[in-house]
Amino acid sequence: METRLAVDVGGTFTDLVAVVDGAVHVEKVASTPEEPDRAVVDGLEAVADRAPPASADYFAHGTTVATNAVLERSFAETALVTTAGFRDVLEIGRQDRPDIYELHGSKPDPVVPRDRRYEVDERVDARGEVVEPLDGDAVAALAEEIDADSVAVALLFAFENPDHEERVGESLRAAGVDSVSLSSSVLPEIREYERTLATALNAALRPTMDGYLGRLAAALDDADVAAPLRVMGSDGGVVRATDARERPVETLLSGPAAGVRGAAHVADRLDRPDALTMDMGGTSCDVSLVTDGEPLVTTEVTVGDYPVAVPTVDVHTVGAGGGSIARLDDGGALRVGPESAGADPGPVCYGRGGTEPTVTDAHCVLGRIDPAAFAGDVGGATEETAAALESLGDRLGVGPREAAAGVVRVAVADTARALRVVSVERGHDPREFSLVAFGGAGPLHAAAVAAEVGVPEVLVPRVAGVLSAFGLLVSDVTHETARSRVRPWDDVDAEDLERRFREFERAGADRVPDDLPVEHDRFLNVRYAGQSFDLRVPAPSPVDGAALSAVADRFHDRHAERYGHAASGEPLELVAVRIRTRGVVEPPDPAPPADGDADDAVRETRTVRFDADRETPVYDRGALPPGATVEGPAIVEGPDATTVVRPSDELAVADDGTLRIEVGR
Amino acid sequence: MSDETVDPVTLEVVRNGCAAVCEEMNATLIRTSYSPNVTERQDCSCALFDVDGRLAAQAETLPVHLGAMPFSVAAALEAHPPATLEPGDAVLLNDPYEGGAHLPDLTLVTPVFVDDDLVAFAANRAHHADVGGATAGSVGADATEIYEEGLRIPPVKLLAGGEERAAVYDIIERNVRTPEERRGDLRAQVAANETGVERARELVERYGRFEDVLDGDGRGAEDLPVVATVTIDGDAVTVDFAGTASQVDGPVNAVFAVTASATYYAVRAVTDPDIPPNAGCYRPVDVETPSGSLVDPEPPAAVVGGNLETSQRATDVVLGAFAEAVPERAVAAGQGTMNNVTFGGTDDGGDGGDAFAFYETQAGGFGAGSGGDGMDAVHVHMSNTLNTPAEVLETAYPLRVRRYELQPDTGGAGRHRGGLGLRRDIEVLMDAVCSLLADRQRHAPYGLAGGETGATGATYRLDGDDTRRLAAKSTHDLEAGDVVSLRTPGGGGYGDPTERDAPGRRRANSRPARARRRVAGVEVPNGQRLCRGAATAPPCRTATSRITSRIWRSDRPSRAPAGPSRRRTSTCTRCSPATGRSCTPTRSTPRRGRSAPASPRGR
Repeated sequence: METRLAVDVGGTFTDLVAVVDGAVHVEKVASTPEEPDRAVVDGLEAVADRAPPASADYFAHGTTVATNAVLERSFAETALVTTAGFRDVLEIGRQDRPDIYELHGSKPDPVVPRDRRYEVDERVDARGEVVEPLDGDAVAALAEEIDADSVAVALLFAFENPDHEERVGESLRAAGVDSVSLSSSVLPEIREYERTLATALNAALRPTMDGYLGRLAAALDDADVAAPLRVMGSDGGVVRATDARERPVETLLSGPAAGVRGAAHVADRLDRPDALTMDMGGTSCDVSLVTDGEPLVTTEVTVGDYPVAVPTVDVHTVGAGGGSIARLDDGGALRVGPESAGADPGPVCYGRGGTEPTVTDAHCVLGRIDPAAFAGDVGGATEETAAALESLGDRLGVGPREAAAGVVRVAVADTARALRVVSVERGHDPREFSLVAFGGAGPLHAAAVAAEVGVPEVLVPRVAGVLSAFGLLVSDVTHETARSRVRPWDDVDAEDLERRFREFERAGADRVPDDLPVEHDRFLNVRYAGQSFDLRVPAPSPVDGAALSAVADRFHDRHAERYGHAASGEPLELVAVRIRTRGVVEPPDPAPPADGDADDAVRETRTVRFDADRETPVYDRGALPPGATVEGPAIVEGPDATTVVRPSDELAVADDGTLRIEVGR
Repeated sequence: MSDETVDPVTLEVVRNGCAAVCEEMNATLIRTSYSPNVTERQDCSCALFDVDGRLAAQAETLPVHLGAMPFSVAAALEAHPPATLEPGDAVLLNDPYEGGAHLPDLTLVTPVFVDDDLVAFAANRAHHADVGGATAGSVGADATEIYEEGLRIPPVKLLAGGEERAAVYDIIERNVRTPEERRGDLRAQVAANETGVERARELVERYGRFEDVLDGDGRGAEDLPVVATVTIDGDAVTVDFAGTASQVDGPVNAVFAVTASATYYAVRAVTDPDIPPNAGCYRPVDVETPSGSLVDPEPPAAVVGGNLETSQRATDVVLGAFAEAVPERAVAAGQGTMNNVTFGGTDDGGDGGDAFAFYETQAGGFGAGSGGDGMDAVHVHMSNTLNTPAEVLETAYPLRVRRYELQPDTGGAGRHRGGLGLRRDIEVLMDAVCSLLADRQRHAPYGLAGGETGATGATYRLDGDDTRRLAAKSTHDLEAGDVVSLRTPGGGGYGDPTERDAPGRRRANSRPARARRRVAGVEVPNGQRLCRGAATAPPCRTATSRITSRIWRSDRPSRAPAGPSRRRTSTCTRCSPATGRSCTPTRSTPRRGRSAPASPRGR
């Protein structure tokens, strides 16, 4: 028996997916934000009858511990050591202000306050040469003076020559500091602010993450989970728990990255390597772009006002989810979100005391969601829901159903705008993509969003409500190493480069589990001399003179592709050497759903509002067989998400159970 | 009056609502006069004049009076130049050969001061029933010489410093047939002008007017005033830069587009920064600039720094003028400069190497506001460029960054303190040329609501132990190893420093080192000299608040705008085409000739 377990902790629910010999089991338990590991154990218990934890061969985890710590600024007592004269780099930032028209703006508080930022006399130049040596005695004295739970060390040009940083680190450890983060290890890349910030964040998160994953590992041990704990990284690769404990800054977008991974996997299996993804939950919607089966990775994300330059799946978030509250702004325009009713009290239709109309309530009033579905909790609140939308409609001068349609239209428009940002605005034509919709509220809106953006097809994965957890099971275990090496291209020594790549490969192989086959992806970051930003170009193995000129050619091609022009005569510059080591995970192969007749899957017929009221069949998703086709309008109810097929759409069930909606107008 | 006078309250300021003031003056005159000629026949007129003596508004009464009154004001000012006038003065005249029309018409001209600044004149003319002469009523049809027509009064102070000059009254009363009635009517004229003074003053105070200066144009250290008068009328905002210095030789002239851009920024920031881009159009904004001035130069004036420095000062004065109108949105001045620095040379320091040129601008303190402390080390207002990371800079150029740090205690103290300026030391590794273009190195960013000014900026050349200050706008040959040390200004503070919650509105752990110093600072009583910490900062400065509404000062040399003022109207920087409004500033006809005040003499 092969058992794979994945647990994704979200703000409201902790999702668990178990694949046992191809059979997929899903559980959702309430999250326990104070001690997130408790919900993980709860989830394991809930699924234990079908997937005994002791039988697990593989265990992967998505976590928001680091994310929440940053959002709440609950940092460990952290110190920072910098080159003399540069301790304020962390606070000055890039000297820009967040909002140009805001006269009362503020910068985020520095991760390390000034009185815990220390300086050491030393200097390395742009070529890694020591200009001013480090005074070991002074450093030892400083290490004794520093009183902090965690220390970040970020010296100028440490990515060129990490020697000084490493010596400071040794002194700190000798003085009893357990948690030391070096910039040459966390983000060995040029630009002192971004590198210092990433290092400081890493240091500030380490004690928290270390404690959390330590507790979780112990709990898993207690539950007899033999498989090693692995954690989803922000870049869409799974890392060993020990790496996550050392480098928590790489897990800031753990959950969203897992979702995109899962979506990419589902699309790829249906031969759709290019996909847009849309993960709509209760409070927000994360959208993202996948090309050639790979999520787009960026180094420009902002988490809690901090620009985090570590590679991260490029997720764009808008404040539109099922729980987003509809209101009128000062100008009388209908707005949806970013305020959310959350899980408690939740939308009005939950019947838990919510009074403000939400997107979910609008769907109830339109007949797309059956409020009785919530009756299990406290009896539903059909009348209250109608009243909330009636009140909104009164202010808009329309009836409750028109108001509800308006609320949905606004939510759809907000999401569509986000999808345009990640597609059209980045030079991708949405007509060539499929939209993978997941999260509890994603499939409700996907067809309408797709129609608005011009995407011809929507895919709703079988485990749409827990796709992030599923994504944990289909991601390779990866380790990425990069180091800035700014050199004129003509000065690049192929032999030296090859040596460096091999060094990285050896180090990387140590970071992936022994039981997985290892692959290495080599990259060089290159730019035209004089440019500030570079492109990442795949590099061959081994690197030699011919390989370098092939890389140069590929750079020119990529530049032309991305920016519309190339200058093949212009001198190039090497910026960084980068390697991604992958422990290749064989994705689980869930058994297809059972055969049957689509007509037997109809639960009921009810009146649903589209352009007009339509008598609409409601299908039980679990009973829809592969190959079935359904003309819109239709509602497909699953255990964790409801899918809307509009009158102009057509639904087909793929072999793996994915709902494929051909989007009409 | 001449072109050499600093510009007055402008026509635009006084025009709006001034007519109502004149009506009220007229009503006062009629109600309080004695003679039926005034009370019943209303043979009188009232008007307001700007500080140049130009008619601003009038009560619509007698054309024969109104057209002539500007000459009376001009004559009064000829005899009593503005520098000699004080609050409470009033000048009486009736001499037809010196500002009058005929002898029975007595004209009284009263200067309007706000604080110590002359801002306007109130004037009225009443036909007195008798001013002596051969015939009762002084309108004899047989006179052949003016001596037969009555008492001739040259421009003379009837009131001085608020006191009646008894001698003048006596002379008049002894030369007329109905002295009590004359006295009463004269006092009514005084009262009418008092009404005008009061109302005009309120009017001026309602319009935000703000003045600040650029330190100079780089060719001299002369202050260059930048003045903005903001008028809010319903939805329309008019910003008038009348009073701003004439264009200068140095390269700090800001073309109209730059001035307009600065204005739009400021208006948008104080009104509604959150307005969504698709929410329709923005308030209409009129920008008026005197042509040939620092904020609207004529070619071929040099302009490179106008975009960088003067634009910041223009923003400062518009925001300052708004401060009274929208105090909750107001902020103290930010660093008000972009601290431009350029290094150029060759990468081997000689003739053989590749040429390089490196340019960057430096952040400084943002002004504090009602909402909280000013941001530390950011680009303020018209700029928001990123810095050059030291590592990128050193990789690309023969330069080395020695220091890049916040400067403690450079933010103005206040209930909310101004943002901190920064220090950036750059060493040249080869012989090189360095150009500096900065401001706010003599005149500090202003504080608001009792907050102190921010620290001024400075630039030094460090050569071993030798430290030499460099002028804010200057160019220098540097030798390898020289360090240019840039110190940028802090932002102004907001509110009384003694009301600061220690350690301030920021999180307790965000800046304890500075918070401690700040707390120590506010223990010094207001108005005392506050020592401002770090050795690198200017040692001490007085903690007095600045004058925020200087309108006209007789004791200052002045620069007048040269040509006619331009009025250009635009709507907004981001209105949608659907509204049909243009985003491009469009010129309308010049408002009026500023170089041609009413002629002082009518003959």
